[in-house]
Amino acid sequence: MTAYRLASGGLTDRSAPLDFRFDGRNLTGFSGDTLASALLANDQLLVGRSFKYHRPRGIVTAGPSEPNALVTIGKGADSDPNTKATVAELYSGLDARSQNRFPSLKYDIGALNGLLSPFLGAGFYYKTFMWPAAFWEKVYEPIIRKAAGLGRAVLERDPQAYEKCWAHCDLLVVGSGPTGLMAALTAGRAGLRVILADEDFRLGGSLLGETARIGDASAQDFAERGLAELRSLPNVTMMPRTTVFGWYDDNVFGAVERMQKHVALPQAKLPVERLWRIIAKRALLATGAEERPLVFGGNDKPGVMMAGAMRTYANRFGVAAGKSVAIFSNGSAGYRTAADLAAHGVDIAAIIDSRADGSDRAPDGVRVIRSASVIDTKGRQRVAGVVVERSGFEQTIACDAIGMSGGWNPIIHLACQRGAKAVWSEDLKTFLAPDVGNGLVVAGAAAGRYTLAGCLKDGAEKAAALVADLGFSAVSHTAPAVEGEIDPSFTALWYSPGAKAKAFVDFQNDVHVKDIGLALREGFGHVEHAKRYTTNGMATDQGKLSGINATGLLAAMQGISPADVGTTTFRPFYTPVAFGALAGTSRDEHAAPVRKSPLHGWAQRHGAVFVDSGLWFRPAYFSRGGEKTWRESTDREVRNVRENAGLCDVSTLGKIEIFGPDAAEFLNRLYCNPFLKLPVGKARYGLMLREDGMVYDDGTTSRLSHEHFVMTTTTALASGVMSHMEYCAQVHWPDLKVRFCSSTDQWAQMAIAGPKARLILQALVEDDISDAAFPFLAAGAVTLKGGLKARLFRISFSGELAYELAVPAGLGEAVADAIMEEGRAHGICAYGLEALNVLRIEKGHVTHAEFDGRVTPDDAGFGRMVSAQKPDFIGKRLSTRYGLTAADRMQMVGLKPVETDQHIRAGAHLLREGAKPSTLNDQGYVSSACFSPTLGHDIALAFLKSGRERYGERVVVWDKLAGAETVAEICNPVFVDPGNTKLNS
Amino acid sequence: MSRTYISRHPLDDLLPLEPGIRAVDHLDIPRSSAIVSVMAMDGEEASVTAGLAASGVVSIRFTGPGELLAVSQSETPESLHRNLSLLLAETAYIVDQSDGRVVFRLSGPNVRRLLAKGIATDLHPAMFEIGASSNVLCGHISVNLARTGENEFELIVMRSFAVALFDDLKVMGREFDLSAGFSVRV
Amino acid sequence: MASLIHCPHCGVRPKEEFSIRGDASLVRPDPEASDEAWNDYVHIRSNPRGRYREHWQHGAGCRRWLVVERDTFTHEVFSVTDAAIVKREGSR
Repeated sequence: MTAYRLASGGLTDRSAPLDFRFDGRNLTGFSGDTLASALLANDQLLVGRSFKYHRPRGIVTAGPSEPNALVTIGKGADSDPNTKATVAELYSGLDARSQNRFPSLKYDIGALNGLLSPFLGAGFYYKTFMWPAAFWEKVYEPIIRKAAGLGRAVLERDPQAYEKCWAHCDLLVVGSGPTGLMAALTAGRAGLRVILADEDFRLGGSLLGETARIGDASAQDFAERGLAELRSLPNVTMMPRTTVFGWYDDNVFGAVERMQKHVALPQAKLPVERLWRIIAKRALLATGAEERPLVFGGNDKPGVMMAGAMRTYANRFGVAAGKSVAIFSNGSAGYRTAADLAAHGVDIAAIIDSRADGSDRAPDGVRVIRSASVIDTKGRQRVAGVVVERSGFEQTIACDAIGMSGGWNPIIHLACQRGAKAVWSEDLKTFLAPDVGNGLVVAGAAAGRYTLAGCLKDGAEKAAALVADLGFSAVSHTAPAVEGEIDPSFTALWYSPGAKAKAFVDFQNDVHVKDIGLALREGFGHVEHAKRYTTNGMATDQGKLSGINATGLLAAMQGISPADVGTTTFRPFYTPVAFGALAGTSRDEHAAPVRKSPLHGWAQRHGAVFVDSGLWFRPAYFSRGGEKTWRESTDREVRNVRENAGLCDVSTLGKIEIFGPDAAEFLNRLYCNPFLKLPVGKARYGLMLREDGMVYDDGTTSRLSHEHFVMTTTTALASGVMSHMEYCAQVHWPDLKVRFCSSTDQWAQMAIAGPKARLILQALVEDDISDAAFPFLAAGAVTLKGGLKARLFRISFSGELAYELAVPAGLGEAVADAIMEEGRAHGICAYGLEALNVLRIEKGHVTHAEFDGRVTPDDAGFGRMVSAQKPDFIGKRLSTRYGLTAADRMQMVGLKPVETDQHIRAGAHLLREGAKPSTLNDQGYVSSACFSPTLGHDIALAFLKSGRERYGERVVVWDKLAGAETVAEICNPVFVDPGNTKLNS
Repeated sequence: MSRTYISRHPLDDLLPLEPGIRAVDHLDIPRSSAIVSVMAMDGEEASVTAGLAASGVVSIRFTGPGELLAVSQSETPESLHRNLSLLLAETAYIVDQSDGRVVFRLSGPNVRRLLAKGIATDLHPAMFEIGASSNVLCGHISVNLARTGENEFELIVMRSFAVALFDDLKVMGREFDLSAGFSVRV
Repeated sequence: MASLIHCPHCGVRPKEEFSIRGDASLVRPDPEASDEAWNDYVHIRSNPRGRYREHWQHGAGCRRWLVVERDTFTHEVFSVTDAAIVKREGSR
């Protein structure tokens, strides 16, 4: 046995020793230990250095509120900093390191800060490091950052897997102690779908460390029986190692399940942590109560521990917190710990009771000092004695641990996370959960019922009420009798007077009583201000231990009730949650889904280099042997389309099938140009406006039959346009007889463009597609040779003779292959987005680079398209506003550099020659620019004030980013084939 | 010159041609299905559903009020489109989606747990009964989910998302050793 | 972390399936309505604390536009109705 491991007792499996390491030392614990209980058993009480003064700190609690025992577990990318040793389940091979110490835990240079502490009071940093301003970033902050801070985050990629999950239940029970166990049993027996979640690796909560007997059984046996029954119920799900960290709208709870944090080598097929979103019809909070620390001089020395934690270590883990323990208490709970420790053979040095009297019974032979105050502690890296003051007399009592018990705080975080404020109870001298309705009910110690019998009864009764509330019939229950328990009542004590050393309120952030006083004196007495001013409650433990004492002290110092001080705001998360768990599987290639065109494989086979386009992957260009840059490939593709032919995948354009007797009327209202009289078999270019008169999207819409249209949208706005149409149809005009649905994914669509396009296509299409039979803007069903039904549209983005052919998506690759095969003799090539972009700029065609939300149809040269005759369409009314029709609006023009070897880049601004660059002198901007292989120099589309009147003028293209100024001539934006002879050939 | 065009499935390169070993939890992917969007004309919603149910040849998947997908494994896309266009000529509009949708069938004792990783809807049999169907979000991807048996679900997804959904389902099924393959042709 | 909307067509769904467009009390004016009416409709928005009616689309579900009446402060949802039904009833 180790020094502090008791000879017997506890629920650890002493036949299953586990080897682990702490700061490089090899140690041994048992299965069922936490890292903290194993460290205690190995006399490793000192576990960390404090945040500001680097004081030695030891284990204080046996649970998730632990402020001191934060360690880093694991190595390299697998490190978990700031892990609480008090909840970390021990496993063979666990490797833990202490934090915030240099060079070692025992000898820490930062401890010199302790000698400077008169200067390091609250607000010290704010006051001292204000001037000179430049010093903050360069000098002060780096030094403070190095000295402060707890564990370090690693910068390597986390190699572990995480995932997220949804769960549903009638009743979520948070906490598996006496209250939660009875609640889950009551609801489970009644047939509710129950989830019982507990952050501990072993279910049972406080029953695991309880010495009172329940009915005919020990508390542990009672828990085991209850848990066994729950396991047998198919409608009950047990979730150990699961922290319910947040309560969200509509009774959705966030929880994190640590699935493989207790194994040295996680299985690859399972996540290490799983984030749950639990949708619960009702929830019962059985989170118990937190023991309150006492604020006394020297209360942060290693060996000062919560009395209840000492009891847990002894009863559940078979570990003594010390060999000779002094108890400092303001209530009965301290006596309970003394009794249990004494029963395990631990010497009780004394019980120091702040109260004048009480009926509590101390263990035989133990000295009780009443009306007394602890004013200091002796020892350095471990307590060696306690200095007690009574009636003006001081005495020092030797001990190696001090158990403190300052009363109880119900754990009510979840109930307060949605804005309701905790309510002060004058009877219980603590804050209770607000009434938040029957979605979330608080029971047992979390509701201020501190006795075991009270918890069992409250859990059962409140669950029974929820069972009835949900319309189930409850199975009758009788709460079992409890023998041998102590009612842990107390008298509030916010500060143990006469401190001769620092009396800490917040251990983790090194806030002591004087800091709170300073905050008050300097006008930061509001509880939220005091928190920020002193940093009390701002550490990773979020004030679980310190919050109530800060409130009590602020109240006592002002002579007001804690009710008038209140608490700071409770927010998720209850305990820290790894970012990995919040992201789940949504990282790397799963961060967003990739959409693939039906021609993706075809493009790959032709050497496509892909580019992200929203969720889509689209071919940017097709690299051929010898081509070193995207420009080489693009220039070749452009020339080839102009001279021969090319095939481009346009499957990603949105396609919407529109039906109904009012389909034409609907389109007529959506587009600014007329659609009522579009003949069957014809396509028409359409412009959709926003209600404010700016262009929203463009595309072609074809009439396939009298009551059937097919619309195309841009790739970028495919889903936006669909949603806009649904809004118009459902919200504006629900009485129009029109129905539509997306068919984007049904069709593989390819543009075949170039002077040889018809030659190539005619070889594959049965129907006559001569210019006479199928002229520009013809649209309709065709049959490919062999019988395949397809859709053909004579539309052109490139300005060439061009078609778009749509075939069922699964056949896309086969048809594209056939076209390439047929076109080989005619010099066909595949072309990508880059070439498509150059072709359309050469032709003066617009995209969303031009339609950026500030452009009207007239700005882009489509003024005559806008129908004045139509009574209404989206955007009509505001199109006629003065600002949108002003003569000096920027209008789309073409630009070409006067010196043809000079470049124009998109985003550059336009200035009159000789004008200084300024907002006032701004004449416009370049929206699209490229090198035109057809013309042999750069060309651009730009928006220029009164641009259409200024063809032939010169402007300066001012590009601050590139540091370039280029003189350009203003011209018609259609650079290639302005007479449309190619288009109509 | 007459040509025959061979249809490709979006998962062709990701799944073996021959069926492999089938785990208890399995993802079965039919190579082809006949699927159409059916949009009822105003006031004809009930008669469309009744007409389709009476025809007995299709499974009906609810997508929205008056809108559904009709799915058939026995008919070809052409015949389904033609037959339903005739059957519902006066009551609904029909759009072929056979190439635009991909069907995933999940079966096995753990599929509910698997789907809970992506779908927020309560899939308890009392809440989502056999025969129920609805559009839901699965992770980042919108799918039509149908319960076809106690432990059998069918997901219909847009073709362009099929590979992404397949990748997601593989990750979701990793802990259950989910197997996947094309349906064996009968 | 999450919140839920009860879609009248699809049942209880997480908010991730929806997108919000804003004030549902605005009605598109008649094309002949005054400049002021149109300016109010297109540009003027209030940002109230408390009860508010908004247009939400169930984009990942039935794709219907819904009128969600909720409290912007507590996020309590009072009612969810199909927008077409609201429009038809409003115009009656």
